[in-house]
Amino acid sequence: MTEQTNPQDIRPDTEPDILQQEKKAVEEIIAIRTITAENTIFCRTEGGFVRMEYQTPNGERKTYPRVSVHRCFPFSDPDHFISIREPEADGKEIGLIEDLNALPADMRAMLEEQMNLRYFTPKIRKVHSIKEEYGYAYWDVTTDRGACRFTVRMGGSNVYAIGPNRYLVNDIDGNRFEIPDLYKLSAKEIKQLDLFI
Amino acid sequence: MNLCYTLPDEETGLIKPLRQGKPLLYCVPYDLDDDGGLCEDGWIAVTENALFVLKNGTIKHRVDLRETEEIVCTSQVAGGVLAARKEGEDAYLCRFSMRHMVRISYVARGATLLCRGDDRRVESREREKTCSRCGRVLPGTSVCPHCAGGRGRAFHRFWDLCSGYTLPLLTLTVIMAAMSGISVFQQYIQRRFIDDILVPAEGTLADVGAFFSITLVMVLVSLALWITNALWSNSLGTRISRDLRARTFYKINGLSMSFINSRQSGELMNRVVEDAARVREFMEQAFSQMFSQVFIMIGALIAMFVMNWRLALLGLAFAPVGLALIRIFRQCERRMWRKRWRTEDKVNDRLQDVISGIRVVKSFGQEERESARFRDYTNELMKITRRNEIFWATLYAGVTFFLTSGTLLVIYFGGGDVLKGRMTPGELVQFLAYTNMLYGPLQFVSRLPRMLMRLTTALERIYDVLDEDDQFVDPEEAIDKELEGQVTFDDVTFGYKSYEPVLEHIHLSVKPGEMIGLVGSSGAGKSTMINLLMRLYEVDDGEIRVDGVPLPMLSQHCLHRQIGVVLQETFLFSGTVFDNIRFARPDAPVREVIQAAKMANAHEFITKLPDGYDTYVGERGYTLSGGERQRVAIARAILHNPRLLILDEATSALDTETEYQIQEALGRLTHGRTTFAIAHRLSTLREADRIVVIDKHRIAEVGTHNELMRKKGIYYGLVMAQLEMHKVRGA
Repeated sequence: MTEQTNPQDIRPDTEPDILQQEKKAVEEIIAIRTITAENTIFCRTEGGFVRMEYQTPNGERKTYPRVSVHRCFPFSDPDHFISIREPEADGKEIGLIEDLNALPADMRAMLEEQMNLRYFTPKIRKVHSIKEEYGYAYWDVTTDRGACRFTVRMGGSNVYAIGPNRYLVNDIDGNRFEIPDLYKLSAKEIKQLDLFI
Repeated sequence: MNLCYTLPDEETGLIKPLRQGKPLLYCVPYDLDDDGGLCEDGWIAVTENALFVLKNGTIKHRVDLRETEEIVCTSQVAGGVLAARKEGEDAYLCRFSMRHMVRISYVARGATLLCRGDDRRVESREREKTCSRCGRVLPGTSVCPHCAGGRGRAFHRFWDLCSGYTLPLLTLTVIMAAMSGISVFQQYIQRRFIDDILVPAEGTLADVGAFFSITLVMVLVSLALWITNALWSNSLGTRISRDLRARTFYKINGLSMSFINSRQSGELMNRVVEDAARVREFMEQAFSQMFSQVFIMIGALIAMFVMNWRLALLGLAFAPVGLALIRIFRQCERRMWRKRWRTEDKVNDRLQDVISGIRVVKSFGQEERESARFRDYTNELMKITRRNEIFWATLYAGVTFFLTSGTLLVIYFGGGDVLKGRMTPGELVQFLAYTNMLYGPLQFVSRLPRMLMRLTTALERIYDVLDEDDQFVDPEEAIDKELEGQVTFDDVTFGYKSYEPVLEHIHLSVKPGEMIGLVGSSGAGKSTMINLLMRLYEVDDGEIRVDGVPLPMLSQHCLHRQIGVVLQETFLFSGTVFDNIRFARPDAPVREVIQAAKMANAHEFITKLPDGYDTYVGERGYTLSGGERQRVAIARAILHNPRLLILDEATSALDTETEYQIQEALGRLTHGRTTFAIAHRLSTLREADRIVVIDKHRIAEVGTHNELMRKKGIYYGLVMAQLEMHKVRGA
């Protein structure tokens, strides 16, 4: 390494800049930004997604052509703490909505439409049959989204509790099915589920 | 994976006038309507310039690909959404569950290529998960063991397996036939004993002695046959599964990385170990019994029907009920066992969780709560176990009763026949013996289909590997020569998945003896460049040349003999340190091995070990530190004396002090060799002649350290960031 480009020499004049940036980045990450009807406008795009105009706490206006809407507690509290995010896989959070019910009806409907698009966890209403064959169980059920047949690998924990009497089922494709309350099913159905629970 | 399904007639008619005679390039189903309800009539069809979304017999969307920037497939929670991007704005097309996620993401990539006027077809090497014919899950095979040739095919494979052992197999069959013959005949002797000697009370003690000796001989002979049978079928089973294991292992070694990567490594190991063991199990347990049981059953049945067909029917009357019961209770039994296993697992998991997290439990003062929770689990386990045992004890007795109640009928009606003089007492005893002989084989035969299924599944999975083609076969005129070490990447493009390029248009020419540092964020494609150079994968486009010879023209032996690798995680095989250094050149003289160890700064620490070069390392051996392992690996590479050297993060796992020693050793190793070094810690690369920065699948910057620092580009940024990190850590 030669003298003139030794990083030691370059360091003094670049250091404050980089440290400042780091500090700002950390502050950005830990701040909770609340989204309300006052500081944000959502509108439905022609393509069926949601566009967002948002005024940051320091008065800056930002526009996002498409945002994705995530629930922080999809199972335990689906209507509170809704995270509005940049749509890319590694996108950052733009802000949080604390209570969906506090928003104007049209805004709420728009967001709910997006959330419905995002979440696919059918609730099992009726178990017709579960047939086991060579390490796989073939389920035939009716869900709130319609009739469905799917396959679950035996062994492992593909059926697991997420609360008292509340279960999730993972099938081989990676789909998830919810049993909201085991004891709402008939005794015969529960017996079929015996294999897993 | 099928990306071009056949469209149903109605839909075909629907888009026919719109696709302007262009063929369908992709056609896949989707399964959700816009509200997330399940449906079965959704289709996505793509021609060269249009994408159609069809649903319920109508065209929902028609996208002109020439006016679209991109078809975007975004994954959601257990599902996905397809959208068309035009001028930066997305338009929703359809949604689907995970069942179609992979397929549709491939199609989206394919359609995006078409948007850009690139007519390359995207192909998926991934496997289907279910059989397209019967809907059953494929147990990791390409064809369904149930359909596709079915039993015939499996039988053929089984035969192929046994073909080397025709003579022992034949002998075994003869032995087993003889065994069952003897046991049928034995009952006949018994009858003669009763009828001719005991009942008339005319026999002498000599007669009794004769009967005794005949029976003794028969018992001894069948004992000898039984032992031979057990020994032979056992050794045959183990030999066949050994062959199978060796063949599979050899095959896996020769297979392409892409095949190996398409399976989880555990899965491949399973095939070598578990599936071969299943075959052995079958050979030992079922195979040895199969013939003898079937022969005994047939022998007994024939004898019974010849003697008295009415009585034979009576004796068999309850057998179907018994068999049916066995079948039903076997289901029950399996359920109960599984439930018990699950609970046991739960208990163990909990135990392991708490014990490995004991510090957390204690420091948060949660001992009481955890104990209570654990008590609940063990209580549950106790209840289940007790219930299982009671159930089993009661029902098994019932089943046995049903199965054997045929004997009762034979006693009643046969006894009547004897009194009426239609049958001799000896005949009745013989008959009863046959009836009893029948039940064992009957149970066995009822289990046979399941055992055969297990066997065919295991065979199918093993042959799935054995039938795979070797990826790289050296061409006839392959060149084998001493390399100088000049390397050229000429417009190289490559992706692990055909639709996702990891490297695009890479141009790089390296002089013999030059050291190249490869820099870039993780996932940028550094390791991929090296994988391509080692020819673990074949480039998709362009060419890599070594000394002007294209890689495929160079014999693999020649390439791998002259390429050396030091990886981040050094893998030491079980064996001594000495064996490990000598791995690449098993015939290297001891002096050279020590010389190599000295050059690698390894000799010092090795001689300090209690067992010196004989120190046993590996899974259950002495644990070397990361730096020590690394130096063994460097010694290995020095001894190998390659022309091309690859250092993949060779120093990232080390502390500063050992790093210095290793740097020094590496300096000796790289001297005069063409070297490609990947490093996150940029100080490792200070010896490099040139540094290549890879960013976003392409070469972003090339130059010496000084040149790149002056340029103040990506490399400059990386160096600065690392300096800051050091400063923060130091502070």
